[in-house]
Amino acid sequence: MIETHSITKVFTGKKWKVEALKGIDFKAERGKITALVGPNGAGKTTLLKIISTLILPTSGSAYVDGYDVVSQPNDVRKHIGLVTVSDRLLYYRLSGMDNLLFYGSLYDMSIKEAKNRAYELLDLVGLKEWADEPTMHYSTGMLRRLAIARALMHDPDVILLDEPTLGVDVASARKVRQLVRKLSVDRTIVLTSHFMHEIEELADYIYILKNGKIIAKGSPEEIIKMAGKIVEAKLSAVTPSLERFITRYENGYAVIRGPKSLVELYTSDYHEITPSLEDAYIALAGETEQDFRPYQYRRGGAWARERPV
Amino acid sequence: MSVLSKLYAYLYIRGFKVWISYKTNAALTMLSWIIPVFTYYFTGTALGNKIVSVLGGGNYTAFVVIGLAFQGYVSSTITTVSQRLRNEQLYGTLEYYVLSPSGVLGFLTYSSLWGFALNSINMIVILAIGFGLGVRYSPFGIMTASIIFILLLLSSFGIAAISGAVVMITKQGNPIAFFFSTFTALMGNTVFPVTALPWYLKELSYAIPLTWALQGLRESLLEGAGIGALLNIIYILVAFTLITLPLGLYLYTKAFDKARKDGTLSQY
Repeated sequence: MIETHSITKVFTGKKWKVEALKGIDFKAERGKITALVGPNGAGKTTLLKIISTLILPTSGSAYVDGYDVVSQPNDVRKHIGLVTVSDRLLYYRLSGMDNLLFYGSLYDMSIKEAKNRAYELLDLVGLKEWADEPTMHYSTGMLRRLAIARALMHDPDVILLDEPTLGVDVASARKVRQLVRKLSVDRTIVLTSHFMHEIEELADYIYILKNGKIIAKGSPEEIIKMAGKIVEAKLSAVTPSLERFITRYENGYAVIRGPKSLVELYTSDYHEITPSLEDAYIALAGETEQDFRPYQYRRGGAWARERPV
Repeated sequence: MSVLSKLYAYLYIRGFKVWISYKTNAALTMLSWIIPVFTYYFTGTALGNKIVSVLGGGNYTAFVVIGLAFQGYVSSTITTVSQRLRNEQLYGTLEYYVLSPSGVLGFLTYSSLWGFALNSINMIVILAIGFGLGVRYSPFGIMTASIIFILLLLSSFGIAAISGAVVMITKQGNPIAFFFSTFTALMGNTVFPVTALPWYLKELSYAIPLTWALQGLRESLLEGAGIGALLNIIYILVAFTLITLPLGLYLYTKAFDKARKDGTLSQY
C-alpha cells in the first residue's frame, strides 16, 4: 500500500526553479494496479522516484506499507521493487542468471538462495531457456522482463514500473502485461505508461498528471465518463486547439475525435462514438509542448525541461 | 554468509566475468603488470642507479620494484571506485545499489575489493619479477610491511571515497582520480626518490600517503626494519587514515544525499 499526502518537489538551479510536483495526494492499494499517466514532464517519474526513496520530496509525506520514505528509507526499500526506464539497466556482458545472482547478493541472499530464486523468476518471466546467455543478446522485451525479475528477487510487496513496455514489440508487450497482471494478485503495483490501451487493459485505478498536478483520477470507466460525450467529425481545416484530437487524414479531411462541446463549435456534422480511454485522456490531459530535451534529462521530469541544453 | 556471497558476486561475477569477457583488454592489463618493471629495469640500470645511489636510495631495481608493486593499490583503488560509479551512472544501475540493503557504502567497499584483487596479482607478479632480477626481500620486515600496507589501503580507501563523492557531483572529470592516477608514479616516491624532485614537488609529495608508505615498505621489505624503527612513518600513516577515512565516508554519503535532494542520481 502506498499513500502520499501533499507531496511537492521543487528543483532549483542557479537561474531556474521548477515545481515538478504540486501537492500530490496519491494512493495505491494492495492487490490492485494503479496507473500514473500524463504528458512528458508531468511528474510521473519524479513521483515514482520519491516513493522509491531515490528523490527526496520538498514537502509533504509519503508512506510505503506504513514506512515513511524520508525518515525510514531502508524499511521502504525492503518493500519495493523498481523497474526504471533506461536503455541499459543490466550488465550486458553477464547472463540473465548472473545478473539476478548479483542483485540477489545485494539483498543479503546466499548464492544458493539467489540461484533458486533466480531460476524461479526466470521461469516466471519466460526466460528460463535464456538463463545462461549474455544479456547483450536479449531483445528489448526480454531485457524488460529480466528487469522485472530483478525487481522481484527480494519478493517485495510493492512493484513500481516506469513504462514497462517502452520500446517493446507487440508480442513481448503482451507477455509483460500478463506478467504484471499475475503479479498484481497479492502486491501493490504502480505503473506509468503512455499506451492507453495498456492502461485500459491493466489499471484498476488511474491518476492523470499534468504539470505536476493531478487533473483527474478514477477507474478507467470513471475517467472515460469524466471526458463527457466524445464525437467524431471530418474537418477540412483544423485550428490549433483541435490539433491534438486528429486521429488520421482521409481524402484531405482531418478526422477528429474530441469532446462534443468543443467539436460542435466548428461543425454540426459529427456523430457520437463510444469513447476509449485514449479519447478521454486526450480530452482531459491534452499534450504538452514538444520535448526537446536530450535523453538523459527526459527521465528527470518536468524540471529538467527548463534546463539549458 | 552474506559477506561471502557479496565477495563472490562482486569479485567473481561482476569483476572477473565482465573483465575476462573483454579478452584483449584483459591481455593488455596483464601485459601492463609486466612491462613497466622491465622498462624501468633497463632504463634504470643506465640512469636510475646513479640517481638513487647519489641520493641515498640504494639499488634502483629494488627501489622501483617496491614502488611499482604497491603504487598500483593507490591509483587503482581510487580510480576503480570513481570509474565504477561512472559506469553505473551510464548503465542506469546505480539506483539499484542505492535501493539494496548493501547500500552505497557496500558498493564502495566491495567495488574497491576488485581493484585490490587485481593489484594483489599485480604486486605478486612484480615482486616475483624483481626476485628474478636479483632483488632480495627480508622476512624480518614482513610484519612491519603488513601494518604499513594496511594503513596505506585504509588511507587510499578514504581518498577513493572522496573521489567517489566528486564523481557523484561532477559526473565526469574527477581531479582526485586524475591526480592520483597521473602524478603518484612521478611524485609518490614510486620510480624516483622524492629527494630527486624540485622543492615544491617534494613538499607536495609529502602530502601523499604513498610517499611515506613506500619509504616504510622499502625499509621493511628490503632492509628488514622493524616496527620500532618505522614508528614515525606508521604514525604519519595513521594520521592520514584518521583524516581521509572519516572525511571520505562523510563526503561520499553526503554526495548521495545531495543527489537524492537534487534528483540527479540517475543523471550522467
